[in-house]
Amino acid sequence: MERPHGGNGLSGGDGGEFQSPALERLVRSLSRLPGLGRKSATRVALHLLTGGGAEAHADELTAALGDARRQVRTCSQCGSITEPDPCRICTSERRDRSQLCVVASPVDVLPMEKAGFFRGRYFVLGGLLSPLDGVRAGDLPFERLLDRLQDGPVTELIIALDASVEGETTALYIQRLLSGNPLQLTRLATGIPVGGALAYTDEVTLQRAFQFRRAF
Amino acid sequence: MRILSATLTNFRNLAETTLDFSPHVNLLLGRNGEGKTNLLEALNWFALGRSHRGAKADELIAFGQDALHVALSVEEDSGAIVACEFGLDRSGGRRLRLDGEPLKGKADLIGRLVTVVFNPDSIGLVRGAPQQRRQFVDQGMAELDAAYLAHLGACQRVLKQKTGLLHDLRRGFGGGGRGREELTAWNRELAYHAAGVCRGRAAYAQLLEPHLRAGHEAMAGPVGTVDFDYRPRLESVMKHLVSGGGKLPPEDELAGAIFAEFDYITDSEMRRGRPLSGPQFDDFGITLEGVDLRTYGSQGQTRTAAIAMILGRSDVLFGQRRMRPVLFFDDIFSELDRARTRRLQEMSSRDHQVFIASARPDDITGWRPEGLRAWRVESGRFAAVEGDAITAGD
Ligand SMILES: [Zn+2]
Repeated sequence: MERPHGGNGLSGGDGGEFQSPALERLVRSLSRLPGLGRKSATRVALHLLTGGGAEAHADELTAALGDARRQVRTCSQCGSITEPDPCRICTSERRDRSQLCVVASPVDVLPMEKAGFFRGRYFVLGGLLSPLDGVRAGDLPFERLLDRLQDGPVTELIIALDASVEGETTALYIQRLLSGNPLQLTRLATGIPVGGALAYTDEVTLQRAFQFRRAF
Repeated sequence: MRILSATLTNFRNLAETTLDFSPHVNLLLGRNGEGKTNLLEALNWFALGRSHRGAKADELIAFGQDALHVALSVEEDSGAIVACEFGLDRSGGRRLRLDGEPLKGKADLIGRLVTVVFNPDSIGLVRGAPQQRRQFVDQGMAELDAAYLAHLGACQRVLKQKTGLLHDLRRGFGGGGRGREELTAWNRELAYHAAGVCRGRAAYAQLLEPHLRAGHEAMAGPVGTVDFDYRPRLESVMKHLVSGGGKLPPEDELAGAIFAEFDYITDSEMRRGRPLSGPQFDDFGITLEGVDLRTYGSQGQTRTAAIAMILGRSDVLFGQRRMRPVLFFDDIFSELDRARTRRLQEMSSRDHQVFIASARPDDITGWRPEGLRAWRVESGRFAAVEGDAITAGD
């Protein structure tokens, strides 16, 4: 466990606050990041301010964050993370317009694109039903999904959600939403471990799950 | 399986020490509060991934220390010897290792070291709330079938979500009129996992009953037949259980029936704002010659039945998986008469490694099982005792 020590004009450590309000603000801001407690946030902050090559790194980080804030957006059609809107996958002429794959998070698109076996397009829900986390049907873009299916040439909707109870329930909800729709509804073959997150499934498993996808 | 040795560091009041155990019977003598139960708790922690007394890390770590560490050498029933380790620190960190390899979660622990604790609370298995019987059956079935554990975990998770949703709906967060459809989706998911849980519980009741009967007769003599049966709350499950003679139909069929029942009670659930039925309300009946021991058993009858249940769980585990749990008797013999005490001691030590914590040396007077090892525990320190000194008292 590293902790700030004397000699750098800073005080603080366990529970206390730094004498520098600017540093205190930086630490608090960093500690709001996912997975970063106050201790780790302090370590990151001190690294950016006092570590070797700190100045260049901090400037680079500031610039990168600014650029990303300006340029990165979510695709208005599929919800992926992109710079051009609509994204390259949505506008590509070489993607199969008859297949639409529903995923929970923009991160889930990455392993599938990396493996390269899926030639259709995506629809990112941005979450899974989870009343405990305040996520209800009205919070997810189901209406937009229905619109997309209404006027598009999609003939197969592939549901590729995590094998968690939230993923399964969201899939069941979509199935009910589409009851009566002539569209073919499929889901990934089990091959994804129970409770497994799609983003962390290896490519081979993912490709197999896709290949052997089954009717809902 | 057997715990061959334990090295303890900063566990409660126990002095840093390494103890080599007898593969047969280990006796811990000493007044209450000196550390006997703390040792059982340390040995048992790895089996459950938590304290069997429900203590948090802060309580388990010795006063003035930041972290504790316990290393066990365990001989599995296959004969393989594995090193089990766990460490806890005050900031909530926990490290589990098996032969030096880190384990991710509790699920990885199941079946590595299996233990059974008898203590004065064990009588609650018969007399206590249904939750204690469900926990007993769930633990027993999880040891046999990893899929059961997955269904059980999923069931609990969905139930929390469903409860949250019903709560929302009752408070008027309808979700644009979609509340009912959301509930249907959660009910379908719940029905699937509930079917897995109910099937597992029914199967376990059937596996346990003959062993429970045999153990009961060995302890109490031919006093009558003990029945152990599954009493599901869901009517659809009860109906199938009766028509199937104690067996339930395949998962998909049962899930369909359970979903229909959930669907039927949805309006009442929405009105009341909470789940009204499901495996979370299940119970198990224990009867002697048709008399319900949960409510009408005498002190002695319930105690004997509870012990027979626990020994039965060990026999089921052995019958299905060829595994024998390590048995812990914590201050239990003071509650039994001498004849039953001796029978229990002899029955359990025949096939198991046993740890006995006792404040009364006369609990074991005249009993000299093979490979007996004894310690006197005082202020967290262990002193080996031998021969007549064991029953010399203090
Ligand atoms: Zn797009």
